[in-house]
Amino acid sequence: MSVWGAIAGGFAGTVVLTTALRAGNQLNLTRMDLPFLLGTAFTSDRTRAKALGYVLHLLVGLAFALIYYAVFLAIGRSGWWLGAVFGFAHGVFSGTALVNVLLPLIHPRMGTRSTAAPDVALLEPPGFLMLNYGARTPLVSIAAHIAYGALVGGFTSLAG
Amino acid sequence: MPFGVERRYLPGTNVLETTFHTDGGTVRVVDVMTLGGPGLAPFRELVRRVEGVTGRVSLAWRVEPRFGYAEASTRIERRLGMPVATSGAGAVAVQCWNTEAMVTDGGAIAGSVDVGAGESALIALSIADREPLVFSSREQVERRIGATARTWAGWSGSRVYDGPWADAVIRSALALKLLVHAPSGAVAAAATTSLPEDVGGERNWDYRFCWVRDSAFTMGAFLGLGCAADARAYFWWLMHASQLTHPRVRVLYSLNGGAHTPERVLGLRGYRGSGPVRIGNAAAGQLQLDTYGELLQTAWLYAGGGNRLDHDIARQIADTADLVCRMWRRPDAGIWEVRSRPEHFTQSKMMCWVALDRARDLAERGLIPGDHTRRWVREAESIRDFVETQCFSAAKHSYTRHAGSEELDASLLLGVLLSYGDPATDRWAGTIDAVRRELQDGLFVRRYTGEDGLEGSEGAFLTCSFWLVEALAVSGRLDEAAALMSQLVGLANDVGLYAEEIDPATGAFLGNFPQGLSHLALISAALAVAGATAP
Repeated sequence: MSVWGAIAGGFAGTVVLTTALRAGNQLNLTRMDLPFLLGTAFTSDRTRAKALGYVLHLLVGLAFALIYYAVFLAIGRSGWWLGAVFGFAHGVFSGTALVNVLLPLIHPRMGTRSTAAPDVALLEPPGFLMLNYGARTPLVSIAAHIAYGALVGGFTSLAG
Repeated sequence: MPFGVERRYLPGTNVLETTFHTDGGTVRVVDVMTLGGPGLAPFRELVRRVEGVTGRVSLAWRVEPRFGYAEASTRIERRLGMPVATSGAGAVAVQCWNTEAMVTDGGAIAGSVDVGAGESALIALSIADREPLVFSSREQVERRIGATARTWAGWSGSRVYDGPWADAVIRSALALKLLVHAPSGAVAAAATTSLPEDVGGERNWDYRFCWVRDSAFTMGAFLGLGCAADARAYFWWLMHASQLTHPRVRVLYSLNGGAHTPERVLGLRGYRGSGPVRIGNAAAGQLQLDTYGELLQTAWLYAGGGNRLDHDIARQIADTADLVCRMWRRPDAGIWEVRSRPEHFTQSKMMCWVALDRARDLAERGLIPGDHTRRWVREAESIRDFVETQCFSAAKHSYTRHAGSEELDASLLLGVLLSYGDPATDRWAGTIDAVRRELQDGLFVRRYTGEDGLEGSEGAFLTCSFWLVEALAVSGRLDEAAALMSQLVGLANDVGLYAEEIDPATGAFLGNFPQGLSHLALISAALAVAGATAP
């Protein structure tokens, strides 16, 4: 196992994850747009938000790869299948807590259940499993995260 | 409740104002598609503001969002307290102020407004496509309404036209601007699909594509009205779209520049029972030789406007001229996209001549490669020989619809508008007279006589009436041109817009709406008359 392998896997995994989500967008499966959600936390300019969002998403992807690496080290195992299992858990966590609960709390332009009569434009909150963005969103998101996890796990074990 | 109603666009804008007069009072309804602006705004937003003017008036409103031509299922639920309709990756939120939105059993969102003098209510449709919805405050929506009106007024105020029928010309320019697909610069032929040319009949087409046929008029209008940026965007879009099929040119392209526009019939009843309702357009695959003339005329106008043709585009234009040399002898479907058997349409041959003549001129000015100029000149002479010997009827003293026929076609007028022929000659004076004699009925001009491979009939094609005005103007028959033009301007609907066709018997509009080519032809005719009368 190697930290560089995890970072390489994080990079490849984030690229695949982003591409898969974008494909889900284009195939009319979901309205989830993670770079847009992340970028609008910092700017209200749509174009800048998307550009910034892609960069942030990549950094977050690398950070998660390091977390995966730490857990792989702790249990003394890594690999494609184990990474895929981590990715599944990561996808469920993203849909239920990370994007659904935590992101609206810290995002200055995202509505929450208690929002009323806003005086600034608000983004639609994702809802449980991000279902507000389309009924197939959890499937797309979890599948993309499984691919991400598999790549991180696989690259980490290969580099070992 | 009995009421009177009047509509107008706020001067110089695409902001629509409808005023209702009732016994209880007067209320004004303002409809705006906002243009975004600084700050986070919805992907697209349609706003309706209801303003009490006098007394007290109650109105009911209703929205029935449907997706994918109503073929996809729609789910309506509440988000942050407001109704949101979703389907796949699309969503519409209905935000209201001073009115309550209720979700009804039939998949609609409805409410009522009760306003007195000085009060107002606001309904905003926030639209998301493949992204989360954006919800705005009332202040933000109001700000965007004002900014949108100012943007339109600024745009129309900077148009350079001080000739006659200025209101109609500027309204046409504003309508044209609405047909521009901003992300690409393409101009849609119309905003709708399948509004029938023959109510109850099968002549229902999808016009939400960009026709190369319209390109020369589009470029002429943009340059003539001082829309340099739009002209540049449009030309670049056109040359890049046609690069996909280079050197061949498709009849039409999708607004994103795609050459694939398959036709499909929807399971809808159609406007006033006019089926089938089509999306996509099968005409894309036809051979229409006139498109080459219009494409090269567009490039010629663009270069004449002081714009540069870069190396690749110059090469592309020269290759297109070479292709015309190889193809002009073939029969085609003609400018009207007939679905009967291909013919040697006269207007197609004339436009092939125009293509080669413009290529020769551009080459002589060093703007495109001139290696094949002599061939272009030789083939242009052959085309002229063909037209003058095979496509002219001594009996009618007119050019004819196609070689060897005695039928007439209003598109022949393009021969004189695009300088194939000299309007001062007997042949062209005779052709204009023949079109008036056989195709004109009052103000209206039919497209052609003879078959087109379709059942039923159609109305009068408004564009042809404007072409006739322009042909009269360039022939020096200015009084006739101005008289006809003044009457045609009066045919617009209450807010100055035109459809594709008009029923000569009732004056009712037919076909897709608003129709870009009708407005382009109006602008071109007005510019021609203004140019001919300028000191």
